[in-house]
Amino acid sequence: MVENLTTDVLVVGAGPAGSMAAKWAAKSGARVLMIEKRQEIGSPVRCGEGMSKDWLKEVGIVPSQRWINVEVEGARIFSPSEKVLEINEKHAGNEVGYVVERDAFDKQLAIDAGNAGVDVLLKTAATGVIRENGKIVGVKAKRFGEPFEIRAPVTIGADGFESQFGRWAGLPTNLALKDMDSCLQYRMTNVDCDVRYCDFYLGSVAPGGYVWIFPKGEGLANVGIGVQLSQIHGTAEPKKYLDAWIAKHPAYSKGKTIDVVGGGVSIAPPLKQTVTDGVMLVGDAARMIDPLTGGGIANGCIAGKICGEVAAEAVREKTPTKEFFQKYEKGWRARLEEKLYRNWLAKEKLCSLSDATFDKVVDALEGVKLQKLSVHNILKAVHDKYPDVTREFESFL
Amino acid sequence: MPSKKHLHIESSGQLCIYCGACVGVCPLNCVYLDETRITFDEKICTRCEICVKACPVGAIAIG
Repeated sequence: MVENLTTDVLVVGAGPAGSMAAKWAAKSGARVLMIEKRQEIGSPVRCGEGMSKDWLKEVGIVPSQRWINVEVEGARIFSPSEKVLEINEKHAGNEVGYVVERDAFDKQLAIDAGNAGVDVLLKTAATGVIRENGKIVGVKAKRFGEPFEIRAPVTIGADGFESQFGRWAGLPTNLALKDMDSCLQYRMTNVDCDVRYCDFYLGSVAPGGYVWIFPKGEGLANVGIGVQLSQIHGTAEPKKYLDAWIAKHPAYSKGKTIDVVGGGVSIAPPLKQTVTDGVMLVGDAARMIDPLTGGGIANGCIAGKICGEVAAEAVREKTPTKEFFQKYEKGWRARLEEKLYRNWLAKEKLCSLSDATFDKVVDALEGVKLQKLSVHNILKAVHDKYPDVTREFESFL
Repeated sequence: MPSKKHLHIESSGQLCIYCGACVGVCPLNCVYLDETRITFDEKICTRCEICVKACPVGAIAIG
């Protein structure tokens, strides 16, 4: 029989957002317990493994060769007719950066949390919430199959895209079909990838998403696809689209697959509410993935730090209430909300573009030295060459 | 009363890659990923087939 536990801050999920929230809650003086349903942190993960790097210092992550596979110089955007737009690191430094080994990265963040005083339990899944007087005071859990309870004044839901905890807590995290992508990725060796660039292929090859090639080393790359759920009408379509794309690209059709991962990605506008009494949501569980790029690590970690600090303060002040947690809401929204909303609007438009229009957009940007990679700058450049294309986007300009 | 179609989940290890996409997309929260097994609550499921489309490898079938 597993004994029941109590703690100050319970973190459900030991991905980057969870470990980050746990670490900063502990550093701010709280007793913290982090639970993870898998037997291993960092694997399996559904992730392209590409991430920007300018935010690492802010949350206390030290770049390390233990988890950096490649430091890319920039990004290449391929139009449907495969015209290329090269974006140099200097201009897109906020969008490209590293291709990482999530296995090692996630473990390092958990090590940092453990060293800060966080207790960690693996093979421990939350199975429900415990309510007292209508408020959530902990979770029901299972450890190696044995049921038990964990009570804490603050529970942080960091349980990923398929998050159950948020829904159990009564927070609406359901997504519209147009606000989700279904993704599949092969890690392939023996491919002709360019380790200087992360590649993005747009258009009908990946409806409402893109094909990505993220190099992990010489001849080794993550080759993946995201397809918008509202544009899927049959079964196994992400796999069909990805296999078809690979078949048409000899540089990759000769590859050998050594890993297959898949999953859902939210491409949604910011949630209206991520807290309630005794509960805060963070990361993919709180729909913080960037709707344009599908990147969630940075946002999850940035919000995670704020979440952990607010959690510890709530414990100290004995005020783990929805009202007190507005401090977290204000904090993460000040940092992330505007960009999330703007990128969602851009995604809404981009998901409906025809291949011909995509070609015009990339064509207009060829040879233009973008000062900074932003939706505004891209649209301005397109407007100069193809004003008819940008008529729809007038509200952005 | 219309007969309910049978929701059959091919998660016996042949197709399912345990990614959890089906769990995340279900509007009624009635799909569960328990370690390596996908199950669903027949009583709640309305056969909306969103999970069928969301599965990247087509491991869920209705029929």
